[in-house]
Order: sequence, then structure tokens, then C-alpha cells
Amino acid sequence: MTEVCEATVAGLDKEQLLHVYRVMRTIRDFEERVHLEFATGDIPGFVHLYAGEEAIAAGVCACLRDDDFVASTHRGHGHAVAKGCDVKGMMAEIFGRRSGICKGKGGSMHIADFTVGMLGANGIVGGGPPIVCGVGLAAKIRATGQVAVAFAGDGASNQGTFLESLNLASIWNVGCVFVVENNGYAEATASAYHQGGVDVAKRADGFGMPGVVVDGTNFFAVYEAASEAVSRGRNGGGPTLLECKVQRFYGHYEGDSQTYRGEHEIEEARASGDPLVLFERDVTTAGVIGADELRAIDQEVAELIEEAVREARLADEPSAADLLTDVYITY
Amino acid sequence: MAASSSSSHPAPVGVIANPASGRDIRRLVAGGSVVDNGEKGAMVFRLMVGLEAAGVRDVIAMPAGDGLIAALRRRIAGREAGGGPRLLPALEVLDFKPTNRPHDTVDAVARMLRRGVGAIVVLGGDGTHRVVAEHCDQTAICALSSGTNNVFPELRESTLAGLAVGAVVTGSVGLDTALVREPALRVATQDRTALALVDVATTTNPVVGSRAVWQAGALRELVVTVARPATVGLAAIAGQLGVRLGRGEALHVRLGNPATAPFVLDVPVSPGLVTAVGIVAWQRLGRRQTLRLDPGTGSVTLDGEREFTCGPDDEVTVQVTDGPWRVDVDATLAALAERNRHRLCVQLDCDRPFDATRS
Repeated sequence: MTEVCEATVAGLDKEQLLHVYRVMRTIRDFEERVHLEFATGDIPGFVHLYAGEEAIAAGVCACLRDDDFVASTHRGHGHAVAKGCDVKGMMAEIFGRRSGICKGKGGSMHIADFTVGMLGANGIVGGGPPIVCGVGLAAKIRATGQVAVAFAGDGASNQGTFLESLNLASIWNVGCVFVVENNGYAEATASAYHQGGVDVAKRADGFGMPGVVVDGTNFFAVYEAASEAVSRGRNGGGPTLLECKVQRFYGHYEGDSQTYRGEHEIEEARASGDPLVLFERDVTTAGVIGADELRAIDQEVAELIEEAVREARLADEPSAADLLTDVYITY
Repeated sequence: MAASSSSSHPAPVGVIANPASGRDIRRLVAGGSVVDNGEKGAMVFRLMVGLEAAGVRDVIAMPAGDGLIAALRRRIAGREAGGGPRLLPALEVLDFKPTNRPHDTVDAVARMLRRGVGAIVVLGGDGTHRVVAEHCDQTAICALSSGTNNVFPELRESTLAGLAVGAVVTGSVGLDTALVREPALRVATQDRTALALVDVATTTNPVVGSRAVWQAGALRELVVTVARPATVGLAAIAGQLGVRLGRGEALHVRLGNPATAPFVLDVPVSPGLVTAVGIVAWQRLGRRQTLRLDPGTGSVTLDGEREFTCGPDDEVTVQVTDGPWRVDVDATLAALAERNRHRLCVQLDCDRPFDATRS
């Protein structure tokens, strides 16, 4: 008996799967291009690239509604793309241009767009978790069913802000999901030297919430776990901690010589744990999407990124008069 | 069977402790809790205490990240600093960099066999034991659970496991008494073979994803070596059918939609998760019998975890076969106790209950 191929994979239909691939491809191409552009010296400030971690942002955000919120990290480009920020506006922002998503005043580490639920990248390590506690509380009081996700790194998981937020979210029983992107290094310090030998996910037990470890290179692994966590949060089940094991393909920041990493560590990570390659393998093997359809998306994304850079370079920088605008907000 | 050795120079004991077990999505969907690596390190420490008491001098361990070995070393250092009455066996951690993938276990088992270990103690879930069993040849394993959803490994105090394994490798208890041969399932496709210890299933889910299986509605067929009613996991489906399997037998169950299946059971497919499972048919499989599963796009699970995907026309066969030798901790410790009783009776020249207060 031969059965008909499923029209969905993990509950996602073809259109949704193509969107997921577009998100991951956009993140990858965006970061690869920023890597090149930063080397020209034309980008002010610092950039921290998300390449290698695409499955986490895409997997988590694929579970969210448009009116859900995410609070990001210093490595926030991927979260911004996955939550729906305008890619051209992001590129312009990183170049510090007036057409940027924050009018060129924020740069890489402060990309935010509340209209799509992106509460902002954050230069403060561990800065996102307290913010989503507030969002979660507001959603609970208003009974909107919104979910708030905080992304954090393994380094941030040692911060008081992170641990206090787990406690706060637990006692308030709010719909928050804390996603730890454990890439094995807090800046240049390996986990073995900064985590006291305890799994991050285990810390959830201490605050009365479930903690799960997933393969952060595998979109479907992240999506399956995040779906459960988001559903739980949306329906009043309280917060969840997801620890996603992953490897970043670049340094902590652009210019990082990465002398703390193994000799072939990055090559091996790219060879065996590339989220885009793993996703393509899964969906093509399942017979839901053809490789030619993915190549068409590759082409469209490449053109988008090219346009984004060209337009950003041509855009004006903020003027001196812009310095005193948008500094305070009046409620 | 297990390599044995003289009691004066007992063979080393291998330890495979999986740092990744006990942390998967079942913590979320089924209410499990995380088994952290600090506790796994403590379990190995207590195992070593038991091994030392039984006369084992050397332990060879798989390197493990995420703090497991670090936790073990802290326990050992604490014991040594405290001036404990007895020294622990020497600990050697194999010299290779862990990749945090199953290949670490394969690599470690191969190195342990080359070093002539008398037995391998495994801390992990069914999946970890499956990998060890596939590569440990005739060396016996002692199966300890460090998760919450296991059928093959036992939830057992590791000190007792150390005493029993020590009795095996020092020759204090005979292999005929201490070891049992477990059944297994050999899975084959066009391009791979693999071993399962407890169950093999096909599902309609075409990705491996988070690996765990908790959505019973996605199951097509199931083959199990264990059909005990008091079991959690996919094997519980067979366990609930009330079929008694003979040694070396397996059970094949054809599953269907609970809404239309002729028979529906409420089955604990995971700790904290009891769900309706539709039963279409079942049959007993004899030793060495080979079964061809229905083709279909989806995934194949081994011991409760999605392991690989298959296309619409891929052929998947399952053969009931011999599995690993397992150290029977209860039988081994009972044999030691019996030997104590015998020695006591000889010493006292009687067969009566011993009263220590007797003058």
C-alpha cells in the first residue's frame, strides 16, 4: 500500500514552508553581505552576525502571531527579519542612514519596529527578558492572548536580569517564552568556563517552568518545541525556557579573530550544521517542495539584498538637526 | 558474553554517560523534568564507589561536555579532599574532543573494546543504549536510565550497579548467572541498517525534527520486543494488548485513526501523557523472522525517536534478532548474597538464622 504524500510538514503547508525558507535565506544573505560591507569601513559601530542560527529565529517566529512580541539581543538581525521588519530599512539603519528603520540613530544593536512586534535589538546582555515580563503581564491583564518571546545567549543566562525574569514570569504565570541561543561562547568565553557545569534548561526547574533542549540548527526541531511553548503561553499555561544548541558561523563581533575556537570548528559547523541545508534536505525529501522552487527564492533574496545595500549607500545620513528629535516619547 | 578477568587484575569498566539525555521536548509536551548533568556526574561517582568496593581498579569514561565530567571530577576531588576511607578506581577520560553527537558514543565504545573493558555501564535513555548495543559486540552492558521515558535501561541506584558490575568483571559471580541476552530488532532499508532494542515504528511525519514521538495519531506500524503492561512509551501500546511474548519474540501492531479503528486503547505514550491509540491488527513475530513494513512517506522511529525519513517507495524491513548481553543487577546481587549466606553457614557450621547478639 503506497500512501499519498502529506501536504504538510509538521503542520506547515507549502506556502508556509516556502516563507520559512525565504526568512532563513534572507537572514543568511543579509548577514553574509553585512560581513562584506563592514570590512569596507563604511558601517559605523559594531555588528554581530546571526549566520548559522537562522533556524532558531525562523522556527520561533513561525509560531507567533503578528501581534505577538519579541525582545532581541545584540545579535538581533535574524530576529528582526523573522518577525517581519523591513529588510531595506534594516540595512539602511545599519549604515546609519535617515531612511533606516530607526532613522539611522540606532544602528545594528537597536533595530526596532513595534508595529511588527519587534521590541528591539538590545546592547545590554540579558536586557530582553525583563522587557517581555512586562509585555506578558500586559497581555494577561488585557486578556489578548499575546505571547512575548525573549531571545538571549548562553552568556546572558548567567545574568541576574535573566534569572530574575524567569522567576517573575513564573510567579505572574505570564505567556513568555525564553529562548536561549546557546552557541557555546559568551563573547570569547566557552560555556565550560562560565556556566558552572549546569545546563541552562535545567535552570527552568528552579523556577517552576518546563525547560527543553533542542537542536538549534534544525528548523523543525525548534518549530515543534516552540509551537508547544507558544501555545502553552497563549492559553494561560505560563512561561517556558527553550535552550537551542547552535554554532555561530562568525565571531562574536565582526573583526573578532576567534583564537578561542577550535582549528576546524567553524568549517565543521558549516559542513554538518547548516540550518538552510538541513531544511532543504527535509522538505525536498518529503516531496513537498522542489529544489527549483528554493533556487527561485535564492534569486529573489539576492536581488533584495543587493537593492537594500545600493539604496542604503545612496541614502542621506541624519543631519545635526535630527539629533534632538525622537529622544523622548510623550505618553 | 562479557570479557572476564582475574580478581587480582580486573579488567577496566567502561562508562558511557550521555550528556544530552533527559532534556528533549518531552519536558514540555509530557511534563518530564530535566535530568541535569550534575546529577549524571554524581551517578557516575556513586557507580565508582560501588565498583571500588567490588574490586575494580580502573574506569574508562567517554568524554562528555555540558559539565558532566566536570561534575564528576568535583565529586571525586571532594571525596579525596575529605580523606575518605577508600580510594576510588582510577578515572581515565578518553582523549578525544566530543562532538555532542551519537558518534561520540560509537567512538568511545570502539576505544573501550580495544582497551579490553570487562563491561560498559551506560547512563542514558533508550536511544543511548541502542547506539552502545549496536557497537559493543559481545561485551555486556549495564543499563541505567538517566531520563524519564525509558524501557530498556533501569531506574536504579548506581552504587548497586557498581557492585554488580564489579562482581562480573572480577569474576565473583559467574557469567551464566550475571548476564542475560536481550532481544533486538534489526532495521534495514536500501541504504542503511540499524538496531533497536525496544521498538521500531513508522510514522507519517516526514521530518526528524525534535526526534521524540508523542503524537500517536502519526503512527502507522509498530514492532516491539517488550510488551509489559507496566511500560511507558510506544512499547506501552503493545503492553496494553495483554500479549505475553516469549524470549526472542516480538509483536507487530498495525495502528490507525482512533476515530475509525476497530479497537482503541488509552496508552501512556510518554510520562504525563495518556492518549487514545487506534489498533487495527497485531501479530506475533518469531525469532529471526523478518517483516516488511508498508511503504509510505514519513519517518522511522527507533526506540521512540525519529531516526530517519523515507520516501513513498522506500522498503523498510525489521528482523527479530539477538541483542546485547545485559548485566542482571538483581540476579548478580542475589548471587552475592547467597554466597554470603553460604559462607556464614559454613563458618558457623549451621543453617539457622544468625543472631549477632548471641555470645
